[in-house]
Amino acid sequence: MDKMENGRRSVDTGSIRTLSSSHIDDESSLGSDSEINGFASERQADKYGFIGGAQKYSEDTAQDIPPAVLRQREVKWLDMLNHWDKWMIKRFNKELDSQPGDPKWLDVIEKDLHRQFPFHEMFVSRGGHGQKDLSRVLKAYTLYRPEEGYCQAQAPIAAVLLMHMPAEDAFWGLVQICEKYLPGYYSPGLEAIQLDGEILFALLRRVSPLAFRHLEKHKIDPILYMTEWFMCAFSRTLPWASVLRVWDMFLCDGVKIIFRVGLVLLKCMLGTREKLKACQGQYETMELLRAIEPRYMQEGFLVQEILEVPVTARDVEREHHTQLKRWKKNRGELNFKPPPRMHGARIIMLAEPPRRQDLQQNPTIVLEVPQTIPQLQKGKEEKKSKKKKSMKKSQPTEEIPNPYPLLSDPQSSSTEPPAPPPGNSVTPEAAAQTETDSAGEQKTPPTDLPSAKESTLQRSTQSLSSTEQDTYL
Amino acid sequence: MGSDEAYNFVFKVVLIGESGVGKSNLLSRFTKNEFNHDSRTTIGVEFSTRTVLLNNFTIKAQIWDTAGLERYRAITSAYYRGAVGALLVYDITKHLTYESVERWLKELYEHADPHIVVMLVGNKTDLESERSVPNEEAKDFAEKKGLFFLETSALDSTNVEAAFTTVLAEIHKKVSSKEVVRGPMSAVTLNSPKAEDTEKKSCCKNI
Repeated sequence: MDKMENGRRSVDTGSIRTLSSSHIDDESSLGSDSEINGFASERQADKYGFIGGAQKYSEDTAQDIPPAVLRQREVKWLDMLNHWDKWMIKRFNKELDSQPGDPKWLDVIEKDLHRQFPFHEMFVSRGGHGQKDLSRVLKAYTLYRPEEGYCQAQAPIAAVLLMHMPAEDAFWGLVQICEKYLPGYYSPGLEAIQLDGEILFALLRRVSPLAFRHLEKHKIDPILYMTEWFMCAFSRTLPWASVLRVWDMFLCDGVKIIFRVGLVLLKCMLGTREKLKACQGQYETMELLRAIEPRYMQEGFLVQEILEVPVTARDVEREHHTQLKRWKKNRGELNFKPPPRMHGARIIMLAEPPRRQDLQQNPTIVLEVPQTIPQLQKGKEEKKSKKKKSMKKSQPTEEIPNPYPLLSDPQSSSTEPPAPPPGNSVTPEAAAQTETDSAGEQKTPPTDLPSAKESTLQRSTQSLSSTEQDTYL
Repeated sequence: MGSDEAYNFVFKVVLIGESGVGKSNLLSRFTKNEFNHDSRTTIGVEFSTRTVLLNNFTIKAQIWDTAGLERYRAITSAYYRGAVGALLVYDITKHLTYESVERWLKELYEHADPHIVVMLVGNKTDLESERSVPNEEAKDFAEKKGLFFLETSALDSTNVEAAFTTVLAEIHKKVSSKEVVRGPMSAVTLNSPKAEDTEKKSCCKNI
């Protein structure tokens, strides 16, 4: 096997074993990367990049989304990326990416690189740019937070992010998820995930008493079924379209979405007497939970169910409080006390200090959103927010214009609700095009968040549980 | 090999060992005769079953697999509950994974049934050229500690059957013999009497 530093290597379709020497193809991993590992070139990647495996798009479970909806999501997604730039620090390139990591972590990370989404074209090739970026992001985290180090569940999280953005952005996305959305999940001791398991179980009692009693009767510890669900934010469980929908909502609204998904799945699989008759024991129950019926995971059904679960962020926090007390009573103090979690993008944004000099930077994607994009009505939880005064009421839905050519009005006052579309609409071409269109336009990051004048920022995450708006089309 | 077959016993066996030694592939090789170079990292718990015939007894082996990374040991007590057998796996090409065997044993005895049957498994014999743990050394260690020992390859199937069936046979021996003191060992199966009154299958025996 010839070693090649750059450029393509000759196709090796015969071997199942992956090639160990580096294979760099920065343009696209389509075709060249996916021909390694014995995948023949006629294996087409689906629209998300999967060339095989359980999460690959299938005709039977496909759902057609109207193009207008897709375009609307595109707009929202770009807006969110635009916003993300705001608090990213350029440290990644200068410090974290260039330093060598702790060899102990590097070794473990190395072992995991080829084990994340191996059926995805981006990660299928050993030494390919996908795995390389994954390595960079995970290593950077161990340098950024040496006391945390690396936890294996961070790899799928980072991988999902990398499927949609470059390594530096993915790194900061990972940081946000590990520190704000799911603090403590990946820390030594894994206390936070255990606690959330108890919270999930407690919430289940309300949502599906039947399922709750069954799990209780058979002494099925939440850790036995919710660990992968929660630590990977369902990225390894659901069909890909659903993963992206759930992540949209999760990034906007925080962990309550993760809880809701778990509750929906538990209710669907164990919520009726008929279903419970089929699982007489602990093992049978766990097998059932490991093989969720596809119809319950389909995005249309699932999203609707998620919206209807009567669990708010406050419910989660209240139960957290209860379970924490219980923990302390039975197990003593927590060893690893994570910071309080933040329930969604808006809250995270509000918590950022208004002025941070080193956050002044050039966003890589600037979106000028035309005025006509409708906004969402706010949910109850935002009534107290200062922003309410500056928010406009919801406008009637109008025809969605294509955002790409419309970059003429930088002061457009639209505050596009942030529910991002599925990642498939963020293609490199789209991002590049937007960048070209707005080249030269320096966007000043706002200093005061509540100001309504900063229109191009994604302002608030309107309550996504509002059923008045069809955000989740 | 379906779970619908009538069986006499259900034995829960756990796979433990460092990350990347091959636990998941040992599981898939034994229960599904599959091997995957790029199997996903195990997060949480995986499990699979296979029913085998041993001395005219039908034994359903429930094999559990979990993440090997140090950090995950915090959540393993639920995992060990009810286990009567364990395969402690290391990678013969990575000496470090062998060095942590003592720690794994300690963890095992802290959480699992004291009568648990343990086999030390040196995996990846297909990579003989990269061996860094001598066979004799591991064999002596196992003997000293009262563990069974085999070297396997999940990739080419060498000794995989033998590893599991040896453990299962030994468990069966212990279960059938009257020498075993009453205690956790009687909770041999997951279908313990108080939970499963309605069990229609020919149930697992308890001593």
